[in-house]
Amino acid sequence: ISTSLNPLLFISVLLEISRLLNTGLDMESLSICVRLCEQGINPEALSSVIKELRKASEGLKVRINKYCLF
Amino acid sequence: MAGLDQKSPNVLLQSLCCRIMGKSEVDVAHQFQYAVRVVGSNYAPTIERDEFLVAEKIKKELVKQRREADAALLSELHRKLQSQGVLKNRWSILYLLLSLCEDPRKPPVRVANYAALFAQALPRDAQSTPQYYCARPQSLPLSYPDRTQSAQSSGSMGSSGVSSLSIYATNGPTPTPQSLLPGQTQGMGDSLRQQLSSRLAWNLSAAAPSVPTSTSRGLANSVPRSVPRSRREGDTGSGSVEISESALVRDILYVFQGIDGKCIKMCSSESCYKIDGKIAISKSLRDITSRLAELGWLHNKVRKYTDQRSLDRAFGLVGQSFCAALHQELKEYYRLLSVLHSQLQVEDDQGVNLGVENSLTLRRLLVWTYDPKIRLKTLAALVDHCQGRKGGELSSAVHAYGKTGDPYMRALVQHILSLVSHPILNFLYRWIYDGELEDTYHEFFVASDPTVKTDRLWHDKYTLRKSMIPSFIAMDQARKVLLIGKSINFLHQVCHDRTPPGKIIAASKSVDSPKDAAELFTDLEGAFQSNIDAAYFETSKYLLDVLNKNYHLLEHMQAMRRYLLLGQGDFIRHLMDLLKPELVRPATTLYQHNLTGILETAVRATNAQFDSPEILKRLDVRLLEVSPGDTGWDVFSMDYHVDGPIATVFTRECMSHYLRVFNFLWRAKRMEYILTDIWKGQMCNAKLLKSMPELSGVLHQCHILASEMVHFIHQMQYYITFEVLECSWDELWNKVQQAQDLDHIIAAHEVFLDTIISRCLLDTNSRALLNQLRAIFDQIIEFQNAQDTLYRAALEELQLRLQFEDRKKRLQSEGEWGVTAADEQVENKRVQEFCETIPKMRSQLRILTHFYQGIVQQFLVLLMTSTDESLQFLSFRLDFNEHYKAREPRLRMSMGTTRGRRSSYM
Repeated sequence: ISTSLNPLLFISVLLEISRLLNTGLDMESLSICVRLCEQGINPEALSSVIKELRKASEGLKVRINKYCLF
Repeated sequence: MAGLDQKSPNVLLQSLCCRIMGKSEVDVAHQFQYAVRVVGSNYAPTIERDEFLVAEKIKKELVKQRREADAALLSELHRKLQSQGVLKNRWSILYLLLSLCEDPRKPPVRVANYAALFAQALPRDAQSTPQYYCARPQSLPLSYPDRTQSAQSSGSMGSSGVSSLSIYATNGPTPTPQSLLPGQTQGMGDSLRQQLSSRLAWNLSAAAPSVPTSTSRGLANSVPRSVPRSRREGDTGSGSVEISESALVRDILYVFQGIDGKCIKMCSSESCYKIDGKIAISKSLRDITSRLAELGWLHNKVRKYTDQRSLDRAFGLVGQSFCAALHQELKEYYRLLSVLHSQLQVEDDQGVNLGVENSLTLRRLLVWTYDPKIRLKTLAALVDHCQGRKGGELSSAVHAYGKTGDPYMRALVQHILSLVSHPILNFLYRWIYDGELEDTYHEFFVASDPTVKTDRLWHDKYTLRKSMIPSFIAMDQARKVLLIGKSINFLHQVCHDRTPPGKIIAASKSVDSPKDAAELFTDLEGAFQSNIDAAYFETSKYLLDVLNKNYHLLEHMQAMRRYLLLGQGDFIRHLMDLLKPELVRPATTLYQHNLTGILETAVRATNAQFDSPEILKRLDVRLLEVSPGDTGWDVFSMDYHVDGPIATVFTRECMSHYLRVFNFLWRAKRMEYILTDIWKGQMCNAKLLKSMPELSGVLHQCHILASEMVHFIHQMQYYITFEVLECSWDELWNKVQQAQDLDHIIAAHEVFLDTIISRCLLDTNSRALLNQLRAIFDQIIEFQNAQDTLYRAALEELQLRLQFEDRKKRLQSEGEWGVTAADEQVENKRVQEFCETIPKMRSQLRILTHFYQGIVQQFLVLLMTSTDESLQFLSFRLDFNEHYKAREPRLRMSMGTTRGRRSSYM
């Protein structure tokens, strides 16, 4: 089945790939990432950013959780 | 989504931050700043923009996680993506996904430290750029005492993160020695440099080794080979390109496979690997490299041989298995090389963070390749030794190499030998059990000549190819093998016996695998030998049984004895009786069918009729070539027809020998016959001629001569019959009864014939003797003629005298004068004439006697000096009372001298 007509379908392929790789990206984040990459952002940097952000959010959650315990 | 496309990266980043943090835009200000900073500073990607590579990496990652099905799925998806062609920078997004990939098996990351780290790591001031963001490899100080210390001294980098760097999954090859090598500190400097520039990707994720691979690989790739990473003591001076050890290691790994490296190249003039002279390198490194390069040289040698031989079409099965064995060994070697390569790869992947203790150095290579080097050396030596050989020769060469005390080498050579001799053993077993020979490349030691026809199958068709006999098969074993196959073929083709060989040999084993071959060689004395012996014994026995039962070989042999060698006395005598009147006629008047008829009469009238018809039908008369003046006696001969398998034993040559002997024996018999007649005549006429006293002298002479002749012939006959024929026959019969195979019978038979021929004076050495004997025989015939004429004359005379007396008596009885004067005168005259002829007769006889005795003496002299003992004994018997010696001074002397001579070499 040729999907070249539907430009949106590639995103679902990418979503599939990202699901396979267990990246944790949801649809919107993925699409943002795609845009960024298409615009020429260095994927290394981008991935490191994402990771940092994730860890930050985790940390915050923990903190919040910790605080919530009290 | 069209709106998004036009948004600037910053906007997108912000929304991404919001998304991930799950907060509104205001709250993610910090993070947004940070993100912008990061993205802004690391603008140029350091990895290759190769989509394919990235996809491969993803797949590898999946495989590492043991999700092969997913890897296949991924390929599918990737293909789809490619076919869509919408994205420009597919590699980019793929890389991103890869780097975000998380192994579901990995334990959840530790969260506790991150807060502290985070609080430290992100300054509020957006302007200040921490050191690490601008880090470039060269700008950092090099020496750090140890890892943990360096971790702390890099201060703002966060302590925990660095310590977590020490957890590296080293997936190198198992024989990695754990000892720390000198120069570790420098290596550590390297590792720190690396980690500083790729710190972001590294820290906090000790459990995700896949992540570092992406960035560090990029960095590693970016480091050109010639960048000096470490400096060893005693470095070379300026002005030359410096080579690091790791570069050398890489080169060496190529050299191991026979490929020229960047610095180490094959120098064909000296046929060795040399390091480029331009490159500055320490002496010790050079030495080690040279030692390692030897491995490449050895590999080349072996490889060249196998490659050359694989092109050679006529190399044969043995050679091919040799090449296969070499290939196997080379495969093992390549396996080692690939292990080393992967070790190198792992190093690259994880940077030299592994520390020198786990990295690949030349010294390490030296140790690891020690065993393979010995192996390759053995192989190369084998290759040298086996140049230009094939077939059995090749396996002999390999076997020769197995005779070494080194158990390692011996095991290797034994293994190769078992593979190499597997085809030979196959040939062997097929030959032994089926009699089949399929040897297109002439590798087996049994050669078959296709031009030979069935009648010469046994003698000429199969020969031993001596050069191809492997050294682990002894010569007599090889002969036995030849014999076994020959027997089977003989049975099939000549005897038309189609019994499958499975029946002949009850338990036959075939070599199914090289393992059997190997077993055989460890037990060469036992199973192998017993196999061959058993096959030999069974096959030969079967063959002899077939020959005797179906083809009556032994009976034919006995028949030959009886008929051709005059064994059946009564038949021969009767035949001679019947043939006598025929054979005195000139040879040209004889007809074969007449003689055949006479032969059959003789057969029927004697004991010969009780022989089996199979034998009798082979008897025949043959007339030899007629020369002018021949009587029947000269051309008569008997014949015995042979065909089929019997003809293998009684070949045409053998038959011609038999006929010659028959001729000789027949003549001798004829002499005997003649003398018997003479004696008969003498006995009969003696009484009759008593009334003629004037004849008594002549008659006496006749008697004496006759007795001499009789004695002579008698002794000759005794000699021929007993010493020659009976003894040889007895030997032959014993051998034949005990024979284990057909070759024995053939050999015994040939020996028999040779003995007979030489003893019957028929061989070329005894030509003089034979001529003498012939002369003697001629004399006997002469004598017979002379005696016949004598008797005829005497008897005629007697008859006349008797007639005269009768007439006298009759006349007297009638009353007339018995004898008138005229009658008496006539009578007297006649008697006178008769008496005058007597001296002539006497002198004739004397000449005859003299002549005869001369010949006999010459004969005796020749006998005396012959080398055959039995002939010498014959001379004794012939001259038992030294009658001839008295007359012949030569005999006296010759006897004395030869006696002396004889005793010297007796």
